[in-house]
Amino acid sequence: MKTIKDKVAKLSFVALLMALTSAMFYTPTASAHGEKSQAAFMRMRTIHWFDLDWSKDEVAVNDTMTISGKFHVFAGWPETVDKPEVSFLNIGIPGPVFIRAGSWIGGQLVPRSVSLELGDTYEFKVLLKARRPGDWHVHTMMNVEGGGPIIGPGKWVTITGSMSEFVNPLTTLTGQTIDLEDYALDNVYFWHALWYSIGLAWLIFWIKRPMFIPRHIAVTSGKADTLISATDKKVAIGFAVGTLALLMYGMGSTNEKYPITTPLQAGLMRGIKPIEMPETSVAVKVEDATYRVPGRAMQMTLTITNNGDSAIRLGEFNTASVRFLDADVLEDESGYPDDLLAEEGLTVSDNSPIAPGESRTVEVTASDAAWEVYRLADLIYDPDSRFAGLLFFFDEDGNRQMVMVDAPLIPSFI
Amino acid sequence: MSASQSAVRSRAEAVQVSRTLDWMILFTLFTAVLGGYHIHYMLTGGDWDFWSDWKDRRLWVTVAPIVSITFPAAVQAMLWYRYRLPFGAIVCILALMLGEWINRYLNFWGWTYFPVNFCFPSNLIPGAILLDVVLMLSSSFVLTAVIGGMAWGLVFYPGNWPIIAPLHVPVEYNGMMFTLADLQGYHYVRTGTPEYIRMVEKGTLRTFGKDVAPVSAFFSAFVSIIIYFLWHYFGRWFNKTDFISGEGI
Repeated sequence: MKTIKDKVAKLSFVALLMALTSAMFYTPTASAHGEKSQAAFMRMRTIHWFDLDWSKDEVAVNDTMTISGKFHVFAGWPETVDKPEVSFLNIGIPGPVFIRAGSWIGGQLVPRSVSLELGDTYEFKVLLKARRPGDWHVHTMMNVEGGGPIIGPGKWVTITGSMSEFVNPLTTLTGQTIDLEDYALDNVYFWHALWYSIGLAWLIFWIKRPMFIPRHIAVTSGKADTLISATDKKVAIGFAVGTLALLMYGMGSTNEKYPITTPLQAGLMRGIKPIEMPETSVAVKVEDATYRVPGRAMQMTLTITNNGDSAIRLGEFNTASVRFLDADVLEDESGYPDDLLAEEGLTVSDNSPIAPGESRTVEVTASDAAWEVYRLADLIYDPDSRFAGLLFFFDEDGNRQMVMVDAPLIPSFI
Repeated sequence: MSASQSAVRSRAEAVQVSRTLDWMILFTLFTAVLGGYHIHYMLTGGDWDFWSDWKDRRLWVTVAPIVSITFPAAVQAMLWYRYRLPFGAIVCILALMLGEWINRYLNFWGWTYFPVNFCFPSNLIPGAILLDVVLMLSSSFVLTAVIGGMAWGLVFYPGNWPIIAPLHVPVEYNGMMFTLADLQGYHYVRTGTPEYIRMVEKGTLRTFGKDVAPVSAFFSAFVSIIIYFLWHYFGRWFNKTDFISGEGI
């Protein structure tokens, strides 16, 4: 009996070790960017991304693609997040799998931080050059000082080829053509290796002789002065003089080799031009809004007034990058990410055209699993229980009008 | 074997044991400092040391020496006070830089593919040699703090200029002027390091024209002296021997 018990114990131990070892070899790719973890109100009430276009789904190393579109800076920016007075148009990718070859807001190159105005809508474009093969989730992103990264929608893009083929050629203002990927790398290695060797030589000079116990005995017995010899002092002076000489040589030779250098460039860019949005002829009043927790649906009672000269219909509600569409009015043809698109997620109690001059109160329901999957339902746990989003109306000619809505949200648990 | 008997039986054996202990202590010191100092420097110097587009002529020159003179001062106090060994600073810096290079090569490049010419560490070795030599020749912690600490701050920029100068060559890109280091920061995307947290060229040091690096270095050197004193006493405190009275036991 004891033998069987021992065997079972031994086998169990081996099995445990095997399980632990195999677990170590299981290293799945971490490809998310925490977009679902970001507080729902941050995604709903700060930057609204729309009309996005990822120019390619697959791109070879060294080839380029763009992400372009628009973003609206929400006028009812939450109090708990610093205003976007210092912001940076970033891109949400897992490290430099692409290089950012260019980024523009309103046609202006924005390599630095910019100041954005609440209530304005901006056009943007990011040019990416593929660098590292793989399948990558590529997000739009705006970093806001005091607010953190505000991540937009992401789409999977595949990079093919080999990273060893990647090049990043540039011509400097001194006329030199370089590859930034490995430019001056030998120089970095050379100087670090040289100085490390000198430091190591100084250490070896001391550690080749007995160190701790004999020297401690000498120090405690009052013979500390005998531990440093005249030769030691000469060698030390040699190291000091050599160090200073090498520093001077390094400075001199470097200045000779690179006579033209400039300081790092920095500064905030103001005056970024927003899009001149046409005056909207649709007025929307949110009478009430509830989020029905069991049904994963948000219901709004809207009073819509058409002040234009063409009948309109509601086609889309866009919040936190999730697009709820009324399929009878609008069909997405932009290749928007599936998980963020509720193609039939918008239901309007009466979505017949609202005639010019007509005012109508309708029940609008935005329902989709995305509320849960993207943790937007967590909005009900936010300190300021409000929602916000963009409503898109379409007239008979297909012209679009954008209206911002912002109102308190009451959760319903039954 | 009674407690009064020696653990070794000959002088040769004693020497061998002593040397073995030497290597064990040195290895332990090296790795412990590598870990502790590396964490300290990454937390306090951090991005200034990580990225070429943070290595400016004002704040990097000021911050890096001040936050890095800490462990060398403390370890010097211990090694000199107890053993008259003048390699406290260099052993710290060699450990730190080994750790940094492992981190930059395996993590920054190996895992996340940032080019090494963008994320190389700062060179601190010239200052460490001078700090050790000053201590050895003067046998005075005060002089080491004043002269060595001053040298530590002053030689930092010259010790790094040959490495960073090629990255300060200007380039025109899409109608704007950058240094190559700026362009590295723009090209090689860091989602968690937006441009606005880059603390470069900030401050009010505007009356020295383009020659702000020496002024920053002097300021850094003065503060390094103060930090040296502070951390020297941390070192003394950490390696003191306390005896307790037998009466209370």
